[in-house]
Amino acid sequence: MPFTAKSGKFNASINTLTIGTGDKAITLGGENVLPFYTFDAPIENAPKVGIEITDGGMENEPECIQKCYEGCTTVVDMAKAAAAMEGVEFLSLRLEGGDPNGLNKSTEELVQIVKDVAAAVDLPLVVCGCKNVEKDAELLSKAAEALDGRNALLLAAKEENYKTVGAAAGLAYKQVVGAESSVDINLAKQLNVLLSQLGVNGQSIAMNIGTASAGYGFEYVISTMDRIKAAALSQNDATLQMPIITPVASEVWGVKEAVASEADMPEWGPAEERGIDMEIETAAADLVSGSNAVILRHPASVVTISKLIKELV
Amino acid sequence: MALKGLDIFKLSPKKNCKECGSPTCMAFSMKVAQGAVSIDACPYFSEDAKAAMSEATAPPMKTIKVGTGESEYTLGGETVLFRHEKTFVSKTRYAVAVCSCMDDAEIDAKLAAIPAVDYDRISERMFVEMIYVNYSADASTEKYVELVKKAAGLNRVLILGCEDPEAAKAALAVCKDSKPVLNGATPANYEAMNAVAAEAGVVLGVIGANNDELFDNVAALEKLGNKNMLINACTDSVKSAFATAVQFRKAAIKDSNRTCGYPSIVNVAKLAKGDAHMQAALASVFTMKYGSIVVMEQMGYAEALPLYGMRQNLFTDPQKPMKVEPGIYPINGGDENSICLTTVDFALTYFVVSGELERSGVPCNLIINDAGGLSVLTSWAAGKFSSSSIAKFFQEQEIEGKIKCRKLCIPGKVAVLKGELEAKMPGWEIIVAPREAVQLVKFLKDMQ
Amino acid sequence: MGKFVTIGERLSTTAPAVNKAFTERDPQPIIARAKQQLDAGAVYLDVNIGPAESDGEDLMKWAVKLLQSEFNNVPLALDTSNMKAIEAGISVYDRTNGKPIVNSADAAGRIEYLDLAAANDAICIALCNGEGLAKDNDERMMYCQTLLERGMEHGMEAEDIWFDPLFLVVKGMQDKQMQILECIKMFSDMGLNSTGGLSNNSNGMPKLIRPIMDSALVAMAMMQGLTSAIVNPNDLRLMETIKSCDIFKGNTLYADSYLEI
Repeated sequence: MPFTAKSGKFNASINTLTIGTGDKAITLGGENVLPFYTFDAPIENAPKVGIEITDGGMENEPECIQKCYEGCTTVVDMAKAAAAMEGVEFLSLRLEGGDPNGLNKSTEELVQIVKDVAAAVDLPLVVCGCKNVEKDAELLSKAAEALDGRNALLLAAKEENYKTVGAAAGLAYKQVVGAESSVDINLAKQLNVLLSQLGVNGQSIAMNIGTASAGYGFEYVISTMDRIKAAALSQNDATLQMPIITPVASEVWGVKEAVASEADMPEWGPAEERGIDMEIETAAADLVSGSNAVILRHPASVVTISKLIKELV
Repeated sequence: MALKGLDIFKLSPKKNCKECGSPTCMAFSMKVAQGAVSIDACPYFSEDAKAAMSEATAPPMKTIKVGTGESEYTLGGETVLFRHEKTFVSKTRYAVAVCSCMDDAEIDAKLAAIPAVDYDRISERMFVEMIYVNYSADASTEKYVELVKKAAGLNRVLILGCEDPEAAKAALAVCKDSKPVLNGATPANYEAMNAVAAEAGVVLGVIGANNDELFDNVAALEKLGNKNMLINACTDSVKSAFATAVQFRKAAIKDSNRTCGYPSIVNVAKLAKGDAHMQAALASVFTMKYGSIVVMEQMGYAEALPLYGMRQNLFTDPQKPMKVEPGIYPINGGDENSICLTTVDFALTYFVVSGELERSGVPCNLIINDAGGLSVLTSWAAGKFSSSSIAKFFQEQEIEGKIKCRKLCIPGKVAVLKGELEAKMPGWEIIVAPREAVQLVKFLKDMQ
Repeated sequence: MGKFVTIGERLSTTAPAVNKAFTERDPQPIIARAKQQLDAGAVYLDVNIGPAESDGEDLMKWAVKLLQSEFNNVPLALDTSNMKAIEAGISVYDRTNGKPIVNSADAAGRIEYLDLAAANDAICIALCNGEGLAKDNDERMMYCQTLLERGMEHGMEAEDIWFDPLFLVVKGMQDKQMQILECIKMFSDMGLNSTGGLSNNSNGMPKLIRPIMDSALVAMAMMQGLTSAIVNPNDLRLMETIKSCDIFKGNTLYADSYLEI
């Protein structure tokens, strides 16, 4: 008697969403099963892996990341190097230098970087803001304009600035709009509704529902994703059927397990290995919970997570 | 799992004879489902139907115990697929693999490395709980038995990865009292292995080349009367291992397929094929998706720190907040002259705040109050993080005797406490810190 | 658990304008009423063509095709005492967005509607009455059992039989209201779906009061496990109450804009 399992295929599916243009464009979503449940139905669009660079300057990167970009002097150099790395399917540029409490670079300066990077690489682009909602409203709107025709993802519109970001990115320049909520399922849904009411096509929205590093309240991430996928697939809730993109890198490269030096924590061993494994294990958990794309920083993490996805799909 | 009235009704005689005291069979079924009457009140319910009912009300997944004493672990017994439905009850346990095919130096190095990872995180001991001792037909049974003895010296639960009944018998002779797992019942040897496991009184691990073969093998062993088993996720590919782990769990919980209701072993050491980063990724995947035991090639701090943290998160009870021990936590070499910051004992708050303080590089003392494991605003609203509770805590812990510095930073979210604290804690300068932890680095640096 | 299923009741021959439009095969009034109901959040639309003894088959086909082509294959409840008309309607029905509902069977003269639903893989509303109204819940559950057995004998899944306890008018039968609510709980405990013409409770009451009574009843009935109702979706208070109860029951996820979607 063979093993017979009831199919877990749903009548609803996650939206398909394309980022970028041409041969290198990537498509997220489309599945009508839970993450990697290929035994229930085939998953046409495997989750995608992107690499993150920032404009914040090499000296602020962890030592092991600096090593990966040896010889790079500008953000464009880094972008080119990153784009050539194995397994990288899209490039994420984080404009952290815009933070008014940090380097406070001008919007013009940052948009120029965006333009230069866009000219240098043909991979699909994700542009992340500096996490200051006022500055991001302006910055991401201008970036959307600068990237006209690239079908880029602007990450992200938040509750406080969705009107500005949504109008520029979603309406004026037809880019993909990221909707960011921090591990809050009701807000995730609300932002999608608000963006749709603004006129942004639901098929052009990606959700960043947030993540935590492994060990740092990750249970909230798990349950938020589990419940979003349940609502989207089993309740056919169209306001939650947007693919999920998760910037893992910006979370994990801040926790002490990843960055404490070996000198400080001799029994923990080399920092680089700890950072990579923190990034890999967090990203793997995000993916099996429901991320349709993850953004990583270390090239070794990219290689491993790409391989993991290939093996699972 | 409780049966719905409808399921009972389907099995009922549907005679509406009223002999049970209910007006209809449907009303009777409803009362049985509610537990208000016993099924025996109906004289016409067939024995087959009763057997089908008791089968259907048995727990969907068996609870299996391995090991003894302090090293006894409970596996399985889960009733849900997602943690927001109900707390997962049995944590994933990790094993490190050794093999009789290795030379002595390699074996000694592997075994010596196992105790290296052993630390506490939020009142939970994090260490490798099990050792997977693999038998190789290329080495002698004597060598295998010696290896088992050596591994047993580490006081972990042993999993004997052995498909040879004679070798298994010899190994069990030296370790069966510690309740190891005998992992190696294949379709070819299951009868002999079942006899060996039964005689030694140990849990039997079941293997199949694919899900069909695995299912048949479990069913065959159940027919021999064995219900004390673990199932091995297939190891031919990551995809099929994932399919076993998920599909068997799902079939057990959702479709009440009892033959699938056993805890699982996932051998990620085999699946990763020597790629250490891949092994880390797979360990995370199978912790999330239903591995009861995950077998690794090695467990160093790099793999362990995120993995054990993830496990701790995944298996928390959503109703119970994670708490850290209240007290003084010196950071960046903080001493009695270093500035003090105080906050609540909610684990997430502690981790985020201590992480930012470490990033600042500024020596300081983080004083964690007893605030019921709630977040800053919640505990403040509940009166568990108030000026009087903070003042009382400082007194009870005799903090003034331990620390000379009299500067105390309070979370920006409870800035309202400043005045009251200054009144209740004379001599202290109360400083309002930022509302968000991420602003702490700048705040501390600016203050210097 | 699924969202509460609202069945819009406003396409009924009892409304003179609808009756006229059906008779004359005039699409506009039908489409207009359908649109109002769908815009207000109705899931299914009830198509009540009356007894339609002479041209029922033709009329039901016309109505089904009209509504489904106009509104993206909106799911429909086919409501007439002419069984042939229901079959004719199903023959042209597109089930992309839900099975057709046969409205309705009872445990007496109309029990064959269940056979019809079974033969056509449709949902069937099953009224828990016999020749007359049931006098108590023992009798209702007897009818329920009869209907359930009949449906299952003909190969229906239990979930496709939606039991109707028959809501009673408050003015005149106030003392029976809790019985109906208890009956819904029994359906729910059995794992059965339920529906009914909920607004019957407020028949004869002042117009301003009816939405209040209907909303209160739907909330209490949903608490008892009611899974669907035949309602006027253009009653805003009622629809807001249903959406809110769906949030409490976890049938939909909360978002601040939940009333707008």
